[in-house]
Amino acid sequence: MRRRYGWLSFVVCLLCAQHVASAAPGKTLDAYRHFRAISIDLVGRAPNPAELAAFERPHFDLDAWIDKQLGTPAYADRLARIYFDLLRLEVGPAFTYAPQVTTLHRQQILGPDGKPLYIYFRHNQRRERPETDGELCLTAAESGIALLPNNQVRGTPIAVSQKVLSARTTVVKPWWLYRDFAEPMPMMLYRQLWAPDPLFQPVDELVTDPDQRPTVEIRVCNEEAQTAPMGHIFTTGRNGPPVPQPGRVRPLPVDDGYAKQHKGEAISCRSALALNMSVDCGCGPGLQFCLPGSDGGNDPRAFALPAHTPLGLEQPLDSTPQSVSNWYKRWWSEEALHYLTYLFSNDRDIRELLTGRYSMVNGPLVQFYRAGEPAGCCGREKNFGMTVEAEPLFDAKNLPEMEPSDLGWRVVADRGAHAAGLLTMPVFLTKYASRRARGAVLYNAFLCKSFLSGNAQLQPSTEPNLMIRPGCATCHATLEPLAAYFSRVEETQWIYLPEWYFPLRNFTCRKNGQGKMAGGCDTFYDPAFSNGQSGLLRGAYASLDHAASGPVGAAEAVTAAPEFAGCAARRITESFLGRALTEDDTPLLETLTTTLTKNGYRPRALVRALVRSQIYRHANNSKASP
Amino acid sequence: MCLALVSCAPAQIKPGPATPLQPTGVRPQDRAPKEPARLVPPEAYLRTYLALFGAASPSEAQKLARASDNGQLFDNWNDYLSALGFPDHRNDLPRANQTNALMVASFERLGIALCDRAVERDLRGPTETRQLFKFSADTDNISVFKTHFDILHRAFLGYPLDLAPADRAAKFYALYETIVLHHGEKGLKSRFTPAEAGWANVCYGLSRHPEFHLY
Repeated sequence: MRRRYGWLSFVVCLLCAQHVASAAPGKTLDAYRHFRAISIDLVGRAPNPAELAAFERPHFDLDAWIDKQLGTPAYADRLARIYFDLLRLEVGPAFTYAPQVTTLHRQQILGPDGKPLYIYFRHNQRRERPETDGELCLTAAESGIALLPNNQVRGTPIAVSQKVLSARTTVVKPWWLYRDFAEPMPMMLYRQLWAPDPLFQPVDELVTDPDQRPTVEIRVCNEEAQTAPMGHIFTTGRNGPPVPQPGRVRPLPVDDGYAKQHKGEAISCRSALALNMSVDCGCGPGLQFCLPGSDGGNDPRAFALPAHTPLGLEQPLDSTPQSVSNWYKRWWSEEALHYLTYLFSNDRDIRELLTGRYSMVNGPLVQFYRAGEPAGCCGREKNFGMTVEAEPLFDAKNLPEMEPSDLGWRVVADRGAHAAGLLTMPVFLTKYASRRARGAVLYNAFLCKSFLSGNAQLQPSTEPNLMIRPGCATCHATLEPLAAYFSRVEETQWIYLPEWYFPLRNFTCRKNGQGKMAGGCDTFYDPAFSNGQSGLLRGAYASLDHAASGPVGAAEAVTAAPEFAGCAARRITESFLGRALTEDDTPLLETLTTTLTKNGYRPRALVRALVRSQIYRHANNSKASP
Repeated sequence: MCLALVSCAPAQIKPGPATPLQPTGVRPQDRAPKEPARLVPPEAYLRTYLALFGAASPSEAQKLARASDNGQLFDNWNDYLSALGFPDHRNDLPRANQTNALMVASFERLGIALCDRAVERDLRGPTETRQLFKFSADTDNISVFKTHFDILHRAFLGYPLDLAPADRAAKFYALYETIVLHHGEKGLKSRFTPAEAGWANVCYGLSRHPEFHLY
């Protein structure tokens, strides 16, 4: 019976095929090609047989169909790709980010029974016991090994006594093993009672004990296992240059000037100071503020991630183990991509590319903004009184409650007063690490302008002001004021330098009689533009107003520029036509720019007009092929 | 005589200061490349490929394409991505907007994998689950061929055969007939029957067709 029905359906299929063998009445080759082109651009693929059949129906309404497609995720993805390509918002391998304060390392020792055991610790962790201060919490005499730089181990492991192990380490059920790690008695063990998002894959070493059984709990050095949000500045009374000590790999840490002056003061356990200046700051409950690494290297392996995602993370290719740094970088990139997709899928004002204060986050990003991001501050900044990030670009108070393993996405309505679209996202600030790189990409990507060198004769010069130095001025007269907008955001970083701690003109950083600035000043203040009255914040010399207004000011200025709307229309049009625009396209570009601005800078109207235009319809050389 | 010689001597032209030529009129030069070839974005190519393959995701297509042959028909998506023109933003490599030899070779290899697996799955499988070859492999005249070819033509190129150049069906039928006629010659082994090999080659031809890769 089943076989007979199969044959019947085959006959029906043949009849259908016979039926569709000719073109639908009134449908020309040009119409078919136009439909296919729009489908490729708005659906993201060529039309399938069902879609073609719908197109061939007599009363098919192309306009209604286009409007429907303009509301789909495929359309948002298509537009997001334009700006993602333009800004190339993925950070390359040359940049690594694995802060010591948030990176746990793993070392194999021998347990009391002589069997291998893993112990987790942080590099440079301060400890009260001098023998282990700044090193592993077990001495070489206790464990038989000493950890050298570059992930090298010296010595032969010996069984650590139960007494020492219990005294120096704590058993923890960490966040990457338990979904309910914050509960008093975590039960939902990874892969047993908890099936996380398929993309959440700790590397095998992190979920497998040395005897190859699934890990159910881990041992962590006591200091790292602490849970308090605040710690205190720790001093030892040790002064002078560090001297080598027997039994230690490195000299004992000594108290620096800041620690001596601020002994016992409270500090945030999330700042970079927590690791080097306190003994009572750890990784928080369930180690939620740290990322685990599978070895002792500076950027250890942590989680498996797809090496390539040509169609997005929802359709990943093969996963490979990635380092702590790559884990962060992947989610930075995804934040920008989700931001773009959100903007275009909701047909929001395209100026929000630069001005939007909202963003999208998932669990790893929440973890990053709570712990990884503030961990970039405040080693150098403490000399100016800033021991914790005072005005972060993403205010952690606005983050939703999400577990670090939760890979779903949520909208954050407001990141904070200094947020400015893509410009204040970690991926942008690390991809374009310098003030000038940030200014240049704004000029190029959003105003469609390039810096072209003039035909000037280059002469040796000591002129620090590039806006007037011969040979440099052609470009830098424009670039330096743009770069000035980023004076308050540290280069290669995202730390915002607030006015309270870092005034544009700082009396403390004035030059003395010998032309020198106070210690630590030249990191943030530029000696070339400072004088006996004050130091000038680096990058601000071109425009104090721009420096004061920060990235938010940059966003406002660029989006208010007369070129912005035309540039946005040009970027989208060039992508859809698959070629650069020429003078002949000026009428189309002007029409589309007007369409964009008249519709409140919402790009959907522009795209609707573009795909119905004759230039789009005939954008491809459709000469007949064999 | 002397006067005559002087008057016939060539006049000496001395070099003078270079002065810019004065324009006699200004007319804009149209250097715009009109109607160039517009390449299907690699994301759209990949999604179209998956749709033709009947796979829900790239990893599923890879699994189906590799089947039990390992890498004989299909290597690995990771090996093809840059060749297909996908950008690599981590290393600042932009997307390719024009074809190149490596890209065309990748289209060729991916097309063969698609067509061969589709022949195995469709032409030998139950009719109700066919994805690409929604017809019987047996084709004994050009009339039947046209009916079947139209199904493939629509799937790959997006329009019916009767709107294509008039000789397209004849050319593809000649290809089909040639393959069927010479199949198995010289003792070469094939996993396909003559008709299956014929349709596989027709499919190759469409998968490498310029109209499939341009839009």
